[in-house]
Amino acid sequence: MRKLIILLFLFSTLLLSNEADEIIKKLDENMRGQSIHLKMNMEIKSLGHTRTIKIENWAKGTKKSFVKITYPPKDQGITFLSLDNQMWQYVPKIERVIKIPPSMMLQNWMGSDITNDDMVKQNSIVEDYTARILEKKENMVTIELIPKEESAVVWGKIVSHIDTNTYTSSKDSFYDEEGKEVRTFTYDNIKKYGKYYIPTYWELRPSDKKENHTKIELEEIEYDIDISDQYFTKSALKRFSR
Amino acid sequence: MFHLALKNILFYKGRSIATLVLTFLSALFFIVYVSMMDGSHNAMLQNSLKIYTGAIEIYKKGYRDIGGNEYLLNDVESITQKLDKIEGIEAYSPRYETYGLLSSKEQSTASMVVGIDPKKEQQLNELSSALVEGKYLDGTNNNCLYSGVDLVSKLKVKLGNEIAFIGSASDNSFAADIFKLCGIFKTGLFEFDASSSFVDKNYLDTLMYTQNKASYITLKLDDINDADKVNKDINSILDNEVESLTWKTLMSSMVELLEVDSIFGYVSLSLFFVVIFFVIMIYGFINVSSRTKEFGVLRSIGLSRGNIRKLLFYEIFILSSIAILLATPIGAYITYYYSLNPIIIEGIAETYKQYGIVSDEMPFSFDMFTISWNVLVIYGLNFLSILYPMVYINSFNPIEAMGHV
Repeated sequence: MRKLIILLFLFSTLLLSNEADEIIKKLDENMRGQSIHLKMNMEIKSLGHTRTIKIENWAKGTKKSFVKITYPPKDQGITFLSLDNQMWQYVPKIERVIKIPPSMMLQNWMGSDITNDDMVKQNSIVEDYTARILEKKENMVTIELIPKEESAVVWGKIVSHIDTNTYTSSKDSFYDEEGKEVRTFTYDNIKKYGKYYIPTYWELRPSDKKENHTKIELEEIEYDIDISDQYFTKSALKRFSR
Repeated sequence: MFHLALKNILFYKGRSIATLVLTFLSALFFIVYVSMMDGSHNAMLQNSLKIYTGAIEIYKKGYRDIGGNEYLLNDVESITQKLDKIEGIEAYSPRYETYGLLSSKEQSTASMVVGIDPKKEQQLNELSSALVEGKYLDGTNNNCLYSGVDLVSKLKVKLGNEIAFIGSASDNSFAADIFKLCGIFKTGLFEFDASSSFVDKNYLDTLMYTQNKASYITLKLDDINDADKVNKDINSILDNEVESLTWKTLMSSMVELLEVDSIFGYVSLSLFFVVIFFVIMIYGFINVSSRTKEFGVLRSIGLSRGNIRKLLFYEIFILSSIAILLATPIGAYITYYYSLNPIIIEGIAETYKQYGIVSDEMPFSFDMFTISWNVLVIYGLNFLSILYPMVYINSFNPIEAMGHV
């Protein structure tokens, strides 16, 4: 009898674990597609004033991403390239391509509350984390993501609230290695593009600076388009800067 | 009784010489060791204060714990005007510290870039004297960078090379510029040399929008021993959201580290003294027990137990006093001499640079108070060492003692 209970427990744990992995995989597919092209507005509130940055992003799979700043004029043409877990930045003002070292991946990106790591999505929630279902209520599932031992990731834990009808997250809480909540992403205004669902409004609030926020609105989204591989070379940083 | 003690000392030469030599060497070793330990600790603190940390620094509350652009001093001029009215301040200078990415053509590394007033900093510290190549900042509001030797080596750059900087300006907007490496410094503080660069604050202010702003103001005092008093005066005139801190708080981790080091030093020494204590006690005990018959005779001719205690006390008093009187001036002279002429151990700075040793010189500390308590400890130990022999010999009655073999 005891063996049967243990077997049932192990089997149910395995099933839940597989289900959590499956949900996270679908969520990740929605956020990335095979390839994706985005135009977004980022509103950053810090130090009591608000700034707006406009960004264009091209990404292919999990390893290739190219980001270009299109507004404000002061920062226009700054480009970022993420390729095979490495990140480079081109700054037109100084005409330099600069490699961002791994130690800087947790630094704020362009003065916002998001990090360099968020921009390039260097860490994959599918490959680098182990998913576990914490709670299941109808179509809403709360999943805890714990980094795998061999993964070099920046977060100690992520807790994601996912709608399994659309496989989109409504809220992600990020924790440091000591288990302290560092920031919260909330998502809204889910739209469907082909077979993909994606929230088009994201809001990030750092836990220690409640008065700060970074709001992101996705304006144009194209999934599974043919993006030239030319975007994902170091020479593209300067070439597509203008 | 004193004369009898003196005669005993001269008669039992072996015990007397052993006690004298051990006491003399222990006292001398204790004085010299503590002086060397205190001297090296003082040198580490002073080196740190000489190079970068001020005797007092003024911050907006929260900057040291949380940091960032939210906690900058926003009206530096109004604070410095108030500082001018306070006595005991020799010089002050505002600094703007920012953390960003420095990048050469080959390498990138995170670094602290500090905007300073080069002329004022020369009055405050010896950063300019740490120059090993090129030139110190000349205050002409240019893009010259004065970088640590280990940072330069990490970036693989040479004098005159361009170094790109990217970071966040004081309004959190993106900031980027090209600096030119004009000077290289070496303080010996490894972390500092591997992660710090300095640039003219006026130049950096334009890039980071920090005119009349600063991360903090650093101060040099006429006399560092007045730090607490001057700090109190400064705090009394500053706004509530600003705080003034002395070097004891600013370098609390280093002060704690040195205290722990001192404790370990004293623990090691105490083991040595336990050995010395038992050697003196055993010598004393052997001597006293071999004189049991003699003490029995003394008791039978009328000396009381108190007289015997007094006799033994005088013996140890005379021996200890002679040893201490010899050791103290010699120890004091050695510490005084090496406080003025530090011992030079080639390569020690390189080996222990992570502990803040910036020089191959090992200065001693000359402090009469420290020397006094050092010798008193040895003196006390000697008196303690005679307690057991006293109890032992007084446990015999005169008849027993006289018949003792």
